[in-house]
Amino acid sequence: MKERRKIDLSGLEGLVLSGARPILAVILALVVSAGLIWAAGANPIEAYAALLEGSFGSVTALASTGVRAAPLLLGGFAVGLGFKAGLWNIGGEGQIYLGAAAATAVGIIPLPVPAWLHLMLAVMAGFVGGVLWMLVPAYLCAYRGVNLVCTTLMLNYVAGYFVSWLLHEPSPLAEKDAFFPMSPLILPSARLPILARGTSLHVGLILGVILGVVLHFVLHYTHFGFRTRMVGENPEAARYAGVGVTRQIFLVLLICGGLAGLAGAGEVLGLKLRLFDFFASGVGYEGLALAILANGNPLGIIVGGIFFGSLKAGASKMQIVTGIEASLALVTQALTVIFVIAIGFGERVRLTRQQQKKSRA
Amino acid sequence: MDMNSISGWLQASVRLAAPLMLTSIGAVYTERVGVINIGMEGMMLAGALASVAASFFTGNVVIAAICAMTVGGLLAVVHAYLTVSRRASQLISGAAINFLALGATNFGYARLFPTERARAVTFPVLSPPELRGIPFFGQVIFAQPVIVWIALILPLVSAWVLYRTSWGLNIRAVGEHPHAVDSVGLSVHRLKYTGVILSGVFAGLGGSALAMADLGYFAPAMTGGRAFVVLAALVVGKWNPIVVAAACMLFGAADALQLRIQTFGAVIPYQFPLMVPYLLTIAALAGLVGRTAAPKTIGKPYDPETI
Repeated sequence: MKERRKIDLSGLEGLVLSGARPILAVILALVVSAGLIWAAGANPIEAYAALLEGSFGSVTALASTGVRAAPLLLGGFAVGLGFKAGLWNIGGEGQIYLGAAAATAVGIIPLPVPAWLHLMLAVMAGFVGGVLWMLVPAYLCAYRGVNLVCTTLMLNYVAGYFVSWLLHEPSPLAEKDAFFPMSPLILPSARLPILARGTSLHVGLILGVILGVVLHFVLHYTHFGFRTRMVGENPEAARYAGVGVTRQIFLVLLICGGLAGLAGAGEVLGLKLRLFDFFASGVGYEGLALAILANGNPLGIIVGGIFFGSLKAGASKMQIVTGIEASLALVTQALTVIFVIAIGFGERVRLTRQQQKKSRA
Repeated sequence: MDMNSISGWLQASVRLAAPLMLTSIGAVYTERVGVINIGMEGMMLAGALASVAASFFTGNVVIAAICAMTVGGLLAVVHAYLTVSRRASQLISGAAINFLALGATNFGYARLFPTERARAVTFPVLSPPELRGIPFFGQVIFAQPVIVWIALILPLVSAWVLYRTSWGLNIRAVGEHPHAVDSVGLSVHRLKYTGVILSGVFAGLGGSALAMADLGYFAPAMTGGRAFVVLAALVVGKWNPIVVAAACMLFGAADALQLRIQTFGAVIPYQFPLMVPYLLTIAALAGLVGRTAAPKTIGKPYDPETI
């Protein structure tokens, strides 16, 4: 098993294969979804045309895709970076909540500082919130060998209830006499700037794309990135080569938490402008789906995030035009992931056989 | 608190624990064969919709429960195929199934019941009224719908099968040492498939209990993380069906407590009892409350070629 996992997809062959897998999965998922649309009594081509128009057909549509992609990118990096180190961070959801709560706490206080600094502080608070929420699972995983999946998964719900408690009076984060549990409005000085006038597309998307590119370079061209990938591919070898594996795992996990925290901060400071009860529903898990789709690769997560974002944005248009419920987009996303992992192993076995032939020859 | 409110709280506790206990039965088996199934959340949800739809259209709760178990079982076949046959990540497969079930139930619910909110036939209360009149026990045990009784009895049966039959021994052995099972001529794949499919079947039944113990309707995403509470109970209950069921009961009591706090108000915020299962699990995992003893090969795919 170990040997199979270490197959080196190098050169053009590797690039094509690693890209072909998710693309094939997307095509299969779209075909199956088309079958569902047809079974539900609508014309699949018409439905997909509406979906495309709703996600890329106009400035508003593009903005809508971008708004939905922004948190997915960061949520995807939060899982993908850990994935590269062989770690499963399922706690994106919880880290998003805490990041959002921390950003809100800073964003609703009138600080005697310039607007750009207030915004910076609020965004940084989001990062710190995510890091703090990851602190216990990261420590337990790195230093005590406790299963990260279990701890982060459990903390998602704790985070949801904790933030819910923060939003109920008499908590200082709660809006007075609100009809629904929520925080006061984020002050204008702490809001993320809007990119296109008349839409809600905010700078968060650009920040996500930049962070993705930075992450790609960190992973491939720095010592930190090299150590991270080494820990992921072979922790024993990494230890033998003198890498402080536990410390590396701890650090990587904290950064993962911070990235998810940024996703939460972006949602609150850029889009919702308030912290709502249970606002994130599922973004953390969608990040997990993205990371597996892109094999943890930050640039792939950007492409995948825009794809998922466009599905979500276009689905409402599809519902208006053809009457097919927008929840079909979720089915398509899930099918994409299922096909990716179903195809995945076959490809790996085929490559092993090829390599065995080569080594025998 | 007077006697009446205590027995009222316990009655709600048992009723809220029933879906957890039913789901936990299958959860023990899938983890005992070494496969984690976080997709049980989706299987519960799919089971809930299937049973409400079947009950609505046929008016028969037995057919409804069978439909729920079938749908849950079919989703589990997908999980088993991906994780056992294709050796894909159990985590990803489970998460994808959760997404699939969430999307598909939203889609299906809107398709099946476009206008009215369907009220289905619920599981009946079978006990004679005289028994229900008994103070305390009458309310806590006898006034419960039949599915709650099933949930109370099944963990005992499950424990007997797991610890007292040779098939149960095989199931326990697969998760600990699959190669040993293979070497005595038993099919590792078949045992693993069985364990995983059982988890889907019982998650479906748990979903059915959730939707039809007394509500009788489906709501999108109505499971709200209950399967994860079951996963928590597995850790706290150390993979022993009876102890796990007891942990489910405890978590059901916490749920009933928070509902009471929401209605009547109390010193502690209602969110705190809801956090208890999850925090207790982390404490158990961290070794603060005794040692946990997960099946040895849990989470790892079986590859006959490597030892």
